[in-house]
Amino acid sequence: MNQVAVRIIRPILVLMLGLWPLSSFALDHDNLDPNRPIGMEDAYAISKGEIGLEGGVRFNDRREGRTRVTFQPQIIYGAFDNTQIEIQGDLMTEPNTLVGAAKSGDLHVGLLYNFNTETLQLPAMALRVEADLPTGVNSKGVDTQVTGILTRSFGRLRAHLNAGYTILGSPQGQERPGTYRAVAAVSYPLGYPSSFRDTLIASIYTRQSDLQGQRNNTGVEIGLRHQLSSRVVLDAGLGTEFYGPTDRAALLGTVGVSVGF
Amino acid sequence: MAIQHRSCAVAMVVLWLMAFAACSQFEPRDKRFYYRALWNFSLREDLAELDSEFNGVDFGHSNLYENLLLTGGKDIPAIEDRARKETLAFIATKPRINPNEEAIAPTYMKLAWRAQNTFDEAHALHRATYDIVVSDEPDKDRAIRDVLAYYQESAYAITTKRLDHHRLDQFPYSKTFRNRFPLFNATIWSYHYLQVAVYDPLQAAPDLAAKTQAVRPILTTYRRYLEQPPVAWTFMPLTAELSPSFAARYPEIANIFDNLHMLHDNISDILASEQVPTWDAKRTEIYRILNAYYLASADGTNSMMVNDQEHHH
Repeated sequence: MNQVAVRIIRPILVLMLGLWPLSSFALDHDNLDPNRPIGMEDAYAISKGEIGLEGGVRFNDRREGRTRVTFQPQIIYGAFDNTQIEIQGDLMTEPNTLVGAAKSGDLHVGLLYNFNTETLQLPAMALRVEADLPTGVNSKGVDTQVTGILTRSFGRLRAHLNAGYTILGSPQGQERPGTYRAVAAVSYPLGYPSSFRDTLIASIYTRQSDLQGQRNNTGVEIGLRHQLSSRVVLDAGLGTEFYGPTDRAALLGTVGVSVGF
Repeated sequence: MAIQHRSCAVAMVVLWLMAFAACSQFEPRDKRFYYRALWNFSLREDLAELDSEFNGVDFGHSNLYENLLLTGGKDIPAIEDRARKETLAFIATKPRINPNEEAIAPTYMKLAWRAQNTFDEAHALHRATYDIVVSDEPDKDRAIRDVLAYYQESAYAITTKRLDHHRLDQFPYSKTFRNRFPLFNATIWSYHYLQVAVYDPLQAAPDLAAKTQAVRPILTTYRRYLEQPPVAWTFMPLTAELSPSFAARYPEIANIFDNLHMLHDNISDILASEQVPTWDAKRTEIYRILNAYYLASADGTNSMMVNDQEHHH
């Protein structure tokens, strides 16, 4: 595993483990962040002043090639009104075989700004900007990404649209210089009116393949977020890609935890 | 050419956002984290019996507003029977975590988010003061004044000044809710009884065991009120009447809580009244009274401020 990435991740894990025995509050299981547990998010930032530590393990059982495992530690901070900043450093197995923007050990920084709350007339809207710094294995150039996010509710059902574009700072070999990604998702709180601890999420997505000349990776995911205590949310998700390159995912699985304080 | 396309796309996005921003319903979300301290969640951890009742109260307000809005405020069985019993059933589950109010009242939250955020901030102040009083924090007085100062930094802070609740109860639509739905209104006032009656016993008790014992009679009374709502009451409970020591020591906080509870009553009336007929009109009136009479930002022009004592209950 990349030594730089290990140095980045170790203190995060130590801090998370140190906090684990505390019961705490606030990361709301209904506030959806990317990869917790599936690749979509809602248009809302965490509260101003809140700190969230998130982590997860994602398995990608590919139709060709070996199963890839990704560790996803992340810090989120509600830095300003309606604004969260994020620092993340994914670590992946078989780092030398990765193509595309996501490289193992890259330091990822992002900012999500929520423009408005949802009203009777308007959906909630947000913009995310991100940069992947080339600290990882075989990583070159700074990759940047912009994503627009909409959230609209219909009763208790919330619908989410994410549309993003990634520009690779230094594409290598057959890598595309830029790729788009679109996700449509719904989330629903389970248990009303007697329980408010679980949110079910489902999505369908398509994204341009990392290499030129290949078909879009297109798949579906489903996940659950469970409020374990006031400050701890657990998540788990499953997915599959039914269209795309020959090494697309046969089965995706994620388990994770978020701690807010 | 590519640069021209990119500039054009950026300009379109900016224009699109400006068009939305010009819409009267473009509102910031402005959620703020609670005051972070070692005593956070002391009530939940050390006096869970009382904490779970407050979690039930959170459900009650939101469930009422959503049902009033969706039924037009006229369907008496829907409110007095179904919605009230849903609330009592939720309270009976003794919830260990406060519920997600946006899942309870998704329509109301879209109608009047600014008012909801005002409630959320004041409820966080409620929670913080309970936590401090129950905790082993050595300087509780300073801690309470710190959370008050933090609360007052918010643009959604309710005024610390005493408001004329009688005049605030004389709008054309006032008393609609209590007259039409006396059982649920008395249930709401029972919540407010519990919220303010526990302060003095909790403050007077020297340790956790004594605090646990001290709130038992209040919980017993509260649960009796839930079973048999006190429909004979003619006005909401006031902090100074139920926790006079707390109100004397922290008059600003007592005023915030009383004003908060009055705002709850006003919004119930607006949602129930035919005199405010449409959802747009209800939103406009909720925001009008909120901005003119309740938020601290209106202190310089607020015509509802008074200096005299009031005793209603």
